[in-house]
Amino acid sequence: MVTVTIDGHEVQIAEGTNIVEAALKAGIEVPTYCYHPGLSVVGQCRICFVEIEDQPRLVTACSTPVAEGMSVLTASERVNEARAAVMEFLLENHPLDCPVCDQAGECYLQDYSFEHGLDTTHMVDERRTFPGFERRLIGPHVVQNQNRCIQCTRCIRFTEEISGTGDLTMKSRGNHSYIDTFNGEPYDNPWSACAADVCPVGALTVKEFRFRARVWHLEETPSVCPGCSIGCNVDLGHFKGVVYRFVPRHNAEINGWWMCDYGRFLAESLNARDIEQPARTGDQGAAEMSWSEAIDEITRLLSSDSEVQVVASPNLPNEALFLAKKVFADHLGVRVLTPVYRGENRRMKNGQRQWIANVDSHPNSTGARLIGLPIGDQDALTTMLGSSTGPLVVLDNHAHPWLQTEAAAEMLKGRPVIALGRTHTPLSRQASVLLPLASWAETDGTYTSSTGRVQLAQRGLFPKAGAKPASEALLLLAARLGLEIDPGLSPRALFEELAAEVPAFAGMTYRRLAGEPGVPALGLEEVAHVG
Amino acid sequence: MTLARTQPLQVALPTEVTEVRFDDAMEKRIRQILGRYPTQRAAVLPVLWMCQELWGWVSPGIMTAVAERLELAPAFVEGVVTFYTMYQTEPPGKYLLQVCTTLSCQLCGTSALVEHLEERLGIGFGQTTPDGRFTLLDVQCLGACGEGPVVQVNSDYYTELTIEKLDQLLDELP
Amino acid sequence: MEPILLRARDEANSRSISTYLRLGGYGALKKALIMDPSAIREEVKNAGLRGRGGAGFPAGVKWGFVPQDSPKPKYLICNADESEPGTFKDREIIHVDPHMLIEGIIIASYAISANTAYIYIRGEFVEEAEILERAIAEAYKKKYLGRNILTTGYDLDVFVHRGAGAYICGEETALIESIEGKRGLPRLKPPFPAVVGVFGCPTVVNNVETLACVPHIIERGAAWFASIGRPRNTGPKLFCVSGHVNRPGVYELPLGVTFREIIEEHCGGMRDGKALKAFIPGGSSAPVLPADKIDTAADFDAVAEAGSMLGSGGLIVMDETVDMVWALENLLTFYAHESCGQCTPCREGSDWALDIVRRIRRGHGRPADIETLQRISRYASQGMTICPLGDAFCGPIASFLNHFGHEFKAYINAAAPMPEKKLPVLPVRSGRGTFGL
Repeated sequence: MVTVTIDGHEVQIAEGTNIVEAALKAGIEVPTYCYHPGLSVVGQCRICFVEIEDQPRLVTACSTPVAEGMSVLTASERVNEARAAVMEFLLENHPLDCPVCDQAGECYLQDYSFEHGLDTTHMVDERRTFPGFERRLIGPHVVQNQNRCIQCTRCIRFTEEISGTGDLTMKSRGNHSYIDTFNGEPYDNPWSACAADVCPVGALTVKEFRFRARVWHLEETPSVCPGCSIGCNVDLGHFKGVVYRFVPRHNAEINGWWMCDYGRFLAESLNARDIEQPARTGDQGAAEMSWSEAIDEITRLLSSDSEVQVVASPNLPNEALFLAKKVFADHLGVRVLTPVYRGENRRMKNGQRQWIANVDSHPNSTGARLIGLPIGDQDALTTMLGSSTGPLVVLDNHAHPWLQTEAAAEMLKGRPVIALGRTHTPLSRQASVLLPLASWAETDGTYTSSTGRVQLAQRGLFPKAGAKPASEALLLLAARLGLEIDPGLSPRALFEELAAEVPAFAGMTYRRLAGEPGVPALGLEEVAHVG
Repeated sequence: MTLARTQPLQVALPTEVTEVRFDDAMEKRIRQILGRYPTQRAAVLPVLWMCQELWGWVSPGIMTAVAERLELAPAFVEGVVTFYTMYQTEPPGKYLLQVCTTLSCQLCGTSALVEHLEERLGIGFGQTTPDGRFTLLDVQCLGACGEGPVVQVNSDYYTELTIEKLDQLLDELP
Repeated sequence: MEPILLRARDEANSRSISTYLRLGGYGALKKALIMDPSAIREEVKNAGLRGRGGAGFPAGVKWGFVPQDSPKPKYLICNADESEPGTFKDREIIHVDPHMLIEGIIIASYAISANTAYIYIRGEFVEEAEILERAIAEAYKKKYLGRNILTTGYDLDVFVHRGAGAYICGEETALIESIEGKRGLPRLKPPFPAVVGVFGCPTVVNNVETLACVPHIIERGAAWFASIGRPRNTGPKLFCVSGHVNRPGVYELPLGVTFREIIEEHCGGMRDGKALKAFIPGGSSAPVLPADKIDTAADFDAVAEAGSMLGSGGLIVMDETVDMVWALENLLTFYAHESCGQCTPCREGSDWALDIVRRIRRGHGRPADIETLQRISRYASQGMTICPLGDAFCGPIASFLNHFGHEFKAYINAAAPMPEKKLPVLPVRSGRGTFGL
């Protein structure tokens, strides 16, 4: 560790750290474009100039390591002059697109121009443009506007160093340099939209988000991706009850600064809702009922003589699964199975550039295991279902792909089915009791990733219509069934009960989970860590 | 006295270089090139030169073959090809008339030569005559400034040119 | 001065190894290979040989930066990229006496303990590359290259590596990137090539002319070399003269002769009896000097004092008919074309400056343009950029405005406002589909 002084503030930092990071530690932001903590250093945008006392020339902060006793000035007159000049050069050819550019509000060019640039321009000539490259869909998710590009090469370095796909390159040279793929082929890799994340301006933007919302309207709630077992950290961007996007949230252990396209574009599907109120289906179609009526009906069905079975879901948070065990396995003594679907192979690079692979396509199969719920594959599920004609509780009609098929509905015809869901499947249309399930974005919950980390996904929206999270529904049922449990427990309090009972979660609280990036579950070997 | 000493380029048609395979002779040359460097990537420029020598230009098919052979991303190879001005990414004419337009040659009268070429050939910089014979290119300093004006035709330098000598040269080229 | 570098100019068959041997060639090599490498470095240092590629950095000192105890292989690279406008001396050396260069390469490689040397030659020099390949083949045959050179146990391979059209690849780190098979983008320094160079190994990059001087230093001694020229500006220099003189070409003269002597005595004076207006002493990146500086001595220090740089020694001579605004536009066209595009000030500034000067010359200049040009020139140079290409176009802008600002002002005073820009008629679109898919 060395001690350096940044604008008079003393900072202790590891030797060899660059000045940008050292300044951040002192709470000072040095403007950067080409620098990204997850990518290699190129030092080419020239905006991060700082002055080191007793050195004649300004240096670029991103490419200069600190040394013991170094004294850095990030806002001296020379530095401000140089920065303003570089800003002017950057804005010289940059189009005045702010009113129509998605990046506005989270654009480095806007921000630093406001802070460090001149308030006028000396440029009166024509800006250089790239005809045909103003709104080019270069891949399934990324739109390019080459006129806005400041040639920082972050996107290229992302495809070379992180995704390893090498699909973006710089062509030509000088002021006519432009980003493109080989021979105009589509820019298509599993993490393609990350290039739009790293782009500091609106040169690369996400198609699905294009013109949908202004970022300063969006609330960003820290959450976790529900797409698979890796558990990448995300920010949920939402406004007035509508989910607009996921963007990756930094987590050094799991996903670095990245996320995959599949997970990212699940965001909008969280808005869909067919099932709004509790209902019973009959010959006359669905008849709505109140929650207390629904709970009464469920209680009645569960008191049947035939064997009751429960299908839990590895998509549900620890809180719901904990309750499911308590209510069904412990109290009622009935069979609970959590079906797990392996699904597609997905990979993510973390902050140390290690690959992490998924084990299945659910966010919480590991949670189910730790809580003590049996898990099984599709065969185990169909075998169990075939062994009884009694009432069936399905805690999530999308728990497993097979469960969503016509064949599943066919097999379960005639059985009283109690289903929770958000959008219909053939099975939910024939449910005896149908309960509206809150979406991922409407649920406070913790999830255990296959890398053994317990993470908190915060609720961003109030549940729509009559929807409730599964844990709330189960609390109502538990109270009705006579369990000694407060039906008004919040997810936070519920989790504390869980942490007290399940050894793997000992010592964890929501506060701790919100503060630390993924707390390791105890006694769990890390799985699925690919070198 | 005969002025012209340049042979026409052998230019492959685009259909001939959509997909490209290196035969044994080419593979031998590639291995020889690779022997000069400790990395495969360093062979990119010399191998691209070999390809341009064989086919007259560098097509996407050629870039793909080079990328595969040297275990590089094709996008990387295209980035290299487009950075350097001498790799042709479109089929050129049989003769590349590369006219130096930088200061020293201009001081010796390049603009008059350019005017004459544009008139005689009916094309401007960056264009090829309809019969596919001449491509006119403006290039930067060719490093023979004491003998200007200079035009490089394919690989050969022609120096101290006048309109008469230019006409003679264009007439004599086979 | 007796011809040294161009001594074989009038020889028939000057390029063949037999001619070179007859004139005493490869004698220095024999002498060098039984010296200790450090002694060779010392000799070259004492000779005061300054790099002839443009920077003028002492060669012996540069060689000394190579960490001798590093386990990595060392490399010597000969910079034959010669793309600086007005410079054509390396081509001359290769045409006249390629073996002199090769002998210099071998001795320099030995001096830094390198076993591989590359000659990076610009792509346009096709004939010159062939000349070098033939000479290298001759040298291998005579065992001056390859394994166990002259039975001293020293191994050296020399390979020719052709560029493909990029002036920036004359900058040593961009050259190294180009050899590594990448786009020729200059690297951040530090680390310097002597420590981390090509393939991550210690590398020395020297200009053709610099290396061609080396055999003579070893053959005849540092003191002899230092006796030519002036203190701290020693040795013979090849001056390339182009433009409005009667006899343009390459002239071998001691450092320190005046520009007047070069132009009037050696080059036969100005063409058509016109008066000298301006000259660029060291390749287009050197600031322009007005005619009244003609008595400046042509060496590194004196030219720097006069407000320019000797650079590569490429002297471009302009007479009274030259429109200096046109001349600057021509040079800026070159730099904008050659900018690699990495760093903001050069990438944007070179193109912007060109646009302004072009507009001035087309009769639409504005008074504020002079100040804008000066502003660009101030902020795309002196450490703002990764490599000196920024300084290379800013120097001309500043010097042209400084000495010939009145010509720019004359254009601006006679200027008319720019024609009205017709705004494009935007197509009417319905719905939100705006991708042009």
